[in-house]
Amino acid sequence: MSFASMLTGLTKKKVRFVVVGGVAAAAHGSSRVTNDLDICYDAEAAANIGALASVLAGWKAYPRGIEEGLPFIMDDRTLRNAPILTLTTSEGDIDVMDRIAGVGPYDAVRRHSERISALGVRFRVLDLPSLIKAKRAAGRPRDFDHLPELEALLALRKT
Amino acid sequence: MTARQTAIAAGADLKWIVNSAALLGKRVRYDRQQAKWWGLVSLLTGQLGLSLKAAAALSTVALRAGSSSSRVTAGADTSGSASLIVDLARYDSIFLGNLSRALVHELPRRRGRPPRRGTKGAVANAQHYGVDLDLIRSAIRRTPAERLALLETNAAFVRDMRRATA
Repeated sequence: MSFASMLTGLTKKKVRFVVVGGVAAAAHGSSRVTNDLDICYDAEAAANIGALASVLAGWKAYPRGIEEGLPFIMDDRTLRNAPILTLTTSEGDIDVMDRIAGVGPYDAVRRHSERISALGVRFRVLDLPSLIKAKRAAGRPRDFDHLPELEALLALRKT
Repeated sequence: MTARQTAIAAGADLKWIVNSAALLGKRVRYDRQQAKWWGLVSLLTGQLGLSLKAAAALSTVALRAGSSSSRVTAGADTSGSASLIVDLARYDSIFLGNLSRALVHELPRRRGRPPRRGTKGAVANAQHYGVDLDLIRSAIRRTPAERLALLETNAAFVRDMRRATA
């Protein structure tokens, strides 16, 4: 159960994704600890939806916060009809989404991302200015609480 | 559940739910059962083009079957040549996915306008907010790989602590 195992699993299956949220913030220097991996995936390509669904099914993904034992089929049809899922898996918690508020769908997210090497994997993370935009657009108290740190990071990186 | 959470769990627009409830003469309740029912009504009207009244009646029949059967014949013509089958296992999967998203992510938003950036600049504002600038400066000196390795260690520690105290 780790970010490394999730990122390795996704890249091995050639899923097209960009890391967003808390892990992206940590990659840019945020000191906040997060327990879930948030990714934005390419929902335009059927093969990519299939690959992601297959990885998640292999990890026994189940909706987070829902009592256990209810019928849940993790496949490409479920992902197409519920493109934003908050899941708990054997590898850890993961949120998958086809678009990011304040940034847009996968293509826009990818344009505003940078490639990094970490945890033994090469992958893309949303850039810091877009991460700030996304937090602002999400509008939840916990997102607003994160803004001062992210904005200070951006300012200090420039100096 | 809030109205917004109910709409997200149903995968339907909140205004559509409120207007449809008025047309059906039905009182809207913002809870899990209603969200599931509105979700199926929305699917039958939006994707199969059924009338609102027919979709409401068929949804009630389909969901009454509960989890005892995965496929339910919600309606059929008198000759039995045409029928409408609802795949409840599939619908449940989509509904649970939406419900989880509604409960985990769609927390009440802050009322009013977003807080304005202070006039002193981002660094001074962060300091005023209680952000440890030394921590940020030391993070900037590290590479992304070093930062994420540290996150992995800290996240594992938090998980272990939670497990130990559960």
